[in-house]
Amino acid sequence: MSKFQAAAAYEPTEAAWELLPFRFEHFDEGRVLLTNMVGEHVFVTDDELVSVVDKALPATSPLVRQLRGKHIIRDAVEDLPLELLALKTRTRYRRLPEFTGLHIFVVSLRCEHSCPYCQVSRQSADKTRYDMSAETAQKALEMVFESPSQSIKIEFQGGEPLLNFPLVEEIVARAEELNAVYQRHLTFVIATNLALLDDAVLEFADAHDVYFSTSLDGPADLHNRNRPRSGGNSWELAVAGIRRIREALGIHRVSALMTTTEASLDRAKDIIDCYLEQGLSNIFLRSMSPYGFAVKTKSHAAYDVDRWLEFYREGLDYILELNERGVSVSEQYASIILKKMLTNEDPGFVDLTSPAGIGIGAVVYNYDGDVYASDEGRMLAEMGDTTFRLGNLHADSYRDIMLSDALLRPLEESFTLSAPMCGDCAFESYCGADPVRHQATTGDFLGRKPSSAFCRRNMAIFRLLLERYESDPKARSVFLDWANR
Amino acid sequence: MIAREVVLDGTAYSADAIQRAAYRFSDRLSLELVVDETVFRCVLNVETDDGQEADLVVSDFRKEVLDQVLRERIRNDTESVRNVILALAFSKTGLTSDEE
Repeated sequence: MSKFQAAAAYEPTEAAWELLPFRFEHFDEGRVLLTNMVGEHVFVTDDELVSVVDKALPATSPLVRQLRGKHIIRDAVEDLPLELLALKTRTRYRRLPEFTGLHIFVVSLRCEHSCPYCQVSRQSADKTRYDMSAETAQKALEMVFESPSQSIKIEFQGGEPLLNFPLVEEIVARAEELNAVYQRHLTFVIATNLALLDDAVLEFADAHDVYFSTSLDGPADLHNRNRPRSGGNSWELAVAGIRRIREALGIHRVSALMTTTEASLDRAKDIIDCYLEQGLSNIFLRSMSPYGFAVKTKSHAAYDVDRWLEFYREGLDYILELNERGVSVSEQYASIILKKMLTNEDPGFVDLTSPAGIGIGAVVYNYDGDVYASDEGRMLAEMGDTTFRLGNLHADSYRDIMLSDALLRPLEESFTLSAPMCGDCAFESYCGADPVRHQATTGDFLGRKPSSAFCRRNMAIFRLLLERYESDPKARSVFLDWANR
Repeated sequence: MIAREVVLDGTAYSADAIQRAAYRFSDRLSLELVVDETVFRCVLNVETDDGQEADLVVSDFRKEVLDQVLRERIRNDTESVRNVILALAFSKTGLTSDEE
C-alpha cells in the first residue's frame, strides 16, 4: 500500500479561507485598492471585492492565492499569516521605543536674511538678547541624554545659527564629553543659509564631523526673490557655500531643502535642474508651512492645494524622466512614502507618522529655554499660540516636559487609528498625524479630514505614486530603488 | 441673532458630542440643549441677522456633531490599540508608571 496520499488530498478545500483585517478605497474606474494591516496593497475589481467579502471565490482561484500572499485573507487553519502580520507590525513600530532622536537647538533668533515665508519670527542681527545662553544650552544637553535613543542628532537652527557660532562650538564639545559616558551614535547638523560660512567653521566641522543643511529654493532669480538679504546675493552665497563644503569635507556633508512659494509653482523643472547643476541628487518638493512670517506676510494665502499638486506632479514626472535618461535623482517626500508603501519600515519622518512625531521623534530647545514638541510648534508659538510649549529647561524636569498634557493630549487625539475617516482609510499606513498643522489651520489637533488640506494633499500623492507604480514599469523600478535605500 | 432648532435622535447622538460640537462653534452660536424624551432639542442662537448665513452655520454644526459622535465612538473602540502603541513609544524612557 502506498504511503502517499493522492494529489486530490492536497487540493485546498472550498471556502476554507477567512478574511484578515483590511481596508479599501475605490481607486478609479474599475479598480479598488485593498491594503492590509501594514499597508501592503493589491488592486481588485469592484466585483472581485464583493466576491472577497462574500467569500464567494473558489479556493483554487488565482486571486485567492494573490490575496493570501498579501495577507488580505488566510487559510482558516494557518497561523503563519497572523505571525507574519504581527512581525511586520512590530517592524513598522520598532523605532518608537527609541524615542527622541532629533534634538533641535535654536541658538539664536538673529538672522541677516528677511525671507517672507520664514517660519521663525526673526530678530535683526544686532539684538544679542535673542541668543541662547551657555546655561540654557547646558540644561538642554542634560535633557538630550535623558532620551533613550541610541542615535542622537543635534541640529542647530535659528534664525541663523552661525551668528552664535561660539555657542555651537561649546555645545558640540560638551555633547562629545557627555557622550563619552553615554556612548550614543552622536551626529551634528548645522541648518544655515551659508552666508556666514568661513574657514573657521569648515575646520570645526571637519574636526567634529558636522554636517550642513541649507536652503536652496531654485535658480538665482527665484531663490533671491524668496530670500532677500542686504546685497541681494543669497543664492550666490548658498551655492558658493555648498561648493566649499563639498570640496573641503566631501560631497555628502551638505544637503539642501527648498521652500515652495507662489513664485515656485511654475518652475518645477528649473528648480530640479538647479539642484542637479549643484550636484545635489535629492530634492524635497515641499509644501508651504502655514506658520510664522508666512502668515504675517500673507505669502501662505497665495497658493492652494491644487496648484501645489500640479507643481508636485510636474516635478515628480520630470524626475522620473531624468531617471529614464540615466540621471540619478530622487524626490524625498515620495521616497518617504514609498518606503512605507513598499517595505515594512517606517522612516519616522516627523511630519508623516502616527503616533505623531512631536516629542517622540523630535524636540526643540528654544533660545530662551522653552521646550517645544516640534519645530512647527515653536513656529506656532511665534504666532501667539503656545499650545505645543512643553515647559522650560530652567523650571521643569524631563518627566514634567515629556509627560505634560501639552505633549500627551495631541499625541492621543491625533492618533490616526482613532480618527474619523483616517481609521477606515486604505492609505492610513502611508500617512500620519500632524497635530501642529491642524492646530494652526483649524484650532484642533485632528481637524476635519474632508476639509483638511493636509489630507487632500497626501491622498493625491498616494494615488499618484500608486498609479505610476502600477502603470509604468520604469517608474516602478525607480520607486523600488528609492524605497529600499 | 437668529434662532434655529435642530432635533437630534437621542439613540444616535450623545449630549456629550452635541456639547463638544457647540463648544467648537461658540464663536458663532450659543446652544440651549433640552432633553425631550428620546430626542435632543438644540436651540442654536446664531450670531448673525442673515438667514442664509445662519443656515450655513447650522449645516456646519450638524457636520460637527457627526464628527464628534464618530470621534467618541472610534476613540472608545480603539483605546486598547492606541494605549499599546503609545506605551511602546514611552517604554524605554523611564517615565512609565511602573518605573516611578
